Amino acid sequence: MLQAQDIHFCIRNMPIVDKASVSLAPGELTVILGPNGAGKSTLFKVLAGEIPCKYGKVDYNGSPVNGFSAKNLALVRAVMPQHSSLSFPFKALEVVELGLLSGGGSYRQDLLEEVMNETQTWHLKDQLYGNLSGGEKQRVQLARVLTQIWDKKPFPRYLLLDEPTSSMDIALQHHVLRIIHKIKKRNIGVLAILHDLNLAANYADKVILLKKGRILHQGPVKEVMCASNLEEVFEHPIQVFSGLEDSPMIIQSIPFVQNHLEIKLA
Amino acid sequence: MGIALAVMSVLSLSLGAFHIPLYSVFGILIDTVGLELIDFSQQQSNVLLHIRLPRILMAILVGGGLGVTGAALQGLFRNPLVEPGLIGVSSGGALFAVIFIVFGSTLPFLSYFGGIGLPLFAFLGGLINTLLVYKMGSSVGKTDISLLILAGVALNALSGALIGLVIFYADDAALRNFTFWSLGDVGGANWSKVGISFLLISGPVMLVLSQFKNLNALSIGENEAFHMGVDVQKVKYILLFASALIVGTAVSFTGTIGFVGLIVPHLIRMTFGADHRLVLPGSFLLGALLLTFADLLARTIVMPSEMPIGIITAIIGAPFFIWLIINVKKIRS
Repeated sequence: MLQAQDIHFCIRNMPIVDKASVSLAPGELTVILGPNGAGKSTLFKVLAGEIPCKYGKVDYNGSPVNGFSAKNLALVRAVMPQHSSLSFPFKALEVVELGLLSGGGSYRQDLLEEVMNETQTWHLKDQLYGNLSGGEKQRVQLARVLTQIWDKKPFPRYLLLDEPTSSMDIALQHHVLRIIHKIKKRNIGVLAILHDLNLAANYADKVILLKKGRILHQGPVKEVMCASNLEEVFEHPIQVFSGLEDSPMIIQSIPFVQNHLEIKLA
Repeated sequence: MGIALAVMSVLSLSLGAFHIPLYSVFGILIDTVGLELIDFSQQQSNVLLHIRLPRILMAILVGGGLGVTGAALQGLFRNPLVEPGLIGVSSGGALFAVIFIVFGSTLPFLSYFGGIGLPLFAFLGGLINTLLVYKMGSSVGKTDISLLILAGVALNALSGALIGLVIFYADDAALRNFTFWSLGDVGGANWSKVGISFLLISGPVMLVLSQFKNLNALSIGENEAFHMGVDVQKVKYILLFASALIVGTAVSFTGTIGFVGLIVPHLIRMTFGADHRLVLPGSFLLGALLLTFADLLARTIVMPSEMPIGIITAIIGAPFFIWLIINVKKIRS
């Protein structure tokens, strides 16, 4: 279990994250949703152990995060930040290979090939990272992060993703969430920040709704993702079509067009 | 590249104001291990073993050290424009070296250190400047490159001014020592200097070479490196410490030699890619090769006198630096 209690983080006395408690169970995908500036990335960084927080505590499998060395922490969790830029001309394969660093660093051609095939990046392996498109770069970074936790381990582990699909086309977005669905079965708890409500609704096990640094609602998708909760968080009219048992949930934000407004007013 | 370095070294041994034919070079080298196969004169042997060989070994150590340091600092600061001279390591080393030379005779405690005192003092200066520049150039764990370079410029100016101030207070004997030092090139090398340099440079070079995986991880970013299990703070201190020791030693014996640390890693990256597994040792070899070559030019262009080696590296380096600034966008992408 990855557990965070009463996380409180301020910049110049402005609370960015305000008394947030989160728990992430292995085998589940938890998605953080919220408007821009809600404190999603800050909360994410605190959970990753990247920013130490003065108030509140973060525990990985029962041990406080600040007691881990960087090396040991890398064995229980992998992190994909929103943007990563390279300072030197590395090839895509060399970037993915860095994911092997925490596992003792022996070269594992089979593992790299498997992960890169899974993320559809094997054909890019000899290209320079800097020449790839935004979506391709994201897939290469995802492959790097997956490499870090690909081998099965006897203890629960965690994968933290900050907007992993932001530059991808629709098919790839679904592809990535299917990979996440697969990897969580390896006793891995996945936490992802997403902007696409439909992806969240149809792939997540749990959802956290964050606004102005506070968690307004959290819990299973069906309970939390109702129109009233989403409208409260995003301050925008939203409709939710739950559909029948097996059909996908569809979430529609209502456009600001004159006749729509009139219909609503009427 | 190792072969090229060996060939260059032998050529350098042969060429110079006092010409020693290649076969004699081999003869002398073989003779030192006890085999007398090829004839040579005693004079040739003296020039070769006591003047030219230590000088070439010094060029290899200093050139290689500067190359590795350049590669390591560029990797650490995640920027291809960083160079030991630019961020103040060299000038800090130079300032402290000058202080040692000028006040060495008046302050008795300095003489306890003997021959190793000058490089250690220069190391201290280099380390202080590096840490200051690093502290000024980074905020909240991120290195701001424009701040970093500004801090480097400021410290370089300050160090230069302080060097002037120290010289102002120097007496005649100290001034003469300083003049010899500042003209200093690898020409002043003798076996004891080579020995001390080897002691002080080879250790940190090995230390830097061992960090290739961490430097690769740092290329994606400090946070990302931390996520992958790198103790970023520790790596930083190892690299800054080792760089200051290498550059400090180099500066204390050969004066400031610019641009080797800048050009060499770039040439390696262009030919072998960005993986530090190759960039670091490659930079050592190419740095050694470049400085041996520059030294050969310095000795032969204006024979029988010599040109300071710094002039030659700057003549090659400065245009390259300009080219780099113009093309930096292309290289980064």
